Amino acid sequence: MNCSKAQRLFDDLSRDRLPEQLSRELRQHLDDCTDCRVMEQRAARLQRLLALKRHEQPAPEYFHNFLNEFHNRLAETTERVGVWEGIIARMENALTVKPGHTWRYGFAGAMATVLAIGTVWMGVRQPGQPAAVTGPSAAARSPLTFASDVLPAPQSTPKSIAATLPAPSEIVPAGSVLIMPATSRAEPSTPRYMLDHIAITPASYEVATSVHF
Amino acid sequence: MKLSQKLKLGFAAQGEAARRPAHAAPPEEHTIDLRHEDDETLVTRAQRGEAAAFDVLVERYKERLYATVYHMTSNHEDANDLVQETFIKAYKSLNGFRGRSSFYTWVYRIAVNRTINFLKRRRNRNQYSLDDADSGIQTDPDFVELMSHVTPRREVGLNELQQRLNEALQKLSEPHRAVVTMHDVQGMTHADIAKVMKCSEGTVRSRLFYARQQLQALLSDYL
Repeated sequence: MNCSKAQRLFDDLSRDRLPEQLSRELRQHLDDCTDCRVMEQRAARLQRLLALKRHEQPAPEYFHNFLNEFHNRLAETTERVGVWEGIIARMENALTVKPGHTWRYGFAGAMATVLAIGTVWMGVRQPGQPAAVTGPSAAARSPLTFASDVLPAPQSTPKSIAATLPAPSEIVPAGSVLIMPATSRAEPSTPRYMLDHIAITPASYEVATSVHF
Repeated sequence: MKLSQKLKLGFAAQGEAARRPAHAAPPEEHTIDLRHEDDETLVTRAQRGEAAAFDVLVERYKERLYATVYHMTSNHEDANDLVQETFIKAYKSLNGFRGRSSFYTWVYRIAVNRTINFLKRRRNRNQYSLDDADSGIQTDPDFVELMSHVTPRREVGLNELQQRLNEALQKLSEPHRAVVTMHDVQGMTHADIAKVMKCSEGTVRSRLFYARQQLQALLSDYL
């Protein structure tokens, strides 16, 4: 038996709580090891010293009124309790009755559940797809609708539009901006403009060196 | 029914039970002396709204709980408040008590948890009650032996000894203090302490070992 193990068994030895074999080994170790013997004597003395605290007691009449005080306090706490006080009192009560690690386990469990649900949700949802909207029945159930489901199909294709228009070179000179009204696209919507070409002429507020006044 | 109404009704019912003194119990229950009933029966009766049954439980355990809480706080006023609050909490939570442990272990756990929380809040305010040792200490063999070893260097009086013990205990962490109080002062077993603190017996032994090492260093004058 080593010293560390022996020192942890002093308490059980002093209270005769050790099995016969272990007790014999410990006593043998104490006979052989001076350090442990001194430690054992100090530990026994400390126990006797602490046991003296049992004598610190209030006077016998101290408890005579204890039950009445309990009734009064109980009545006070129940009379003055409001809604929020009641909720807070119940929460405090639950925290007091149950030790802290019970709530830690509960919190960890709740977090794990949230994490699992989140993982499943992200796994089901495909990249680039709207989540959980598949088929007409799903569309009917969902409050969300998509523009392609509601708006009418375009009445003309880009090729047919291009065939009806004159060539850009016939309308505007090269280097200027071509603005084409949307009414030419045969869509009965409000006019829109398509910006096809922008003349690349960087704007500058610096005085050009080639300009002479 | 709204939650607020339920709460009010619940507390009103408890208040009614609380205000009703033991002698106001129904006449047929006067014939039964509840003091001889075991804890389980008393708890069942109290859960059915019989306030007198809970009164018996309070009377039965108040002094033991008080002693434990006092040795943890070293202050009588704090100990009284905490034990009163413990019984109030126990009374209000009685319907949640399922009997998985004994009533004593359960109420003891409430008291120890409340005291540990209180001590964490109070950490910087230490006020000891030092004038309360009973006359029995003068004849305690351990105290007599201690006094017989008094040397000029360590003259020790009863008050000084109490103060040193309390100061040393207050320097321990709250869980260590609770374990030392329950084991070395109250004489509880490791298994009972483990049930109260909801930890393993190994944890109790470990806490006790380290707490004693600290106490031996703090009280080396007396050892």
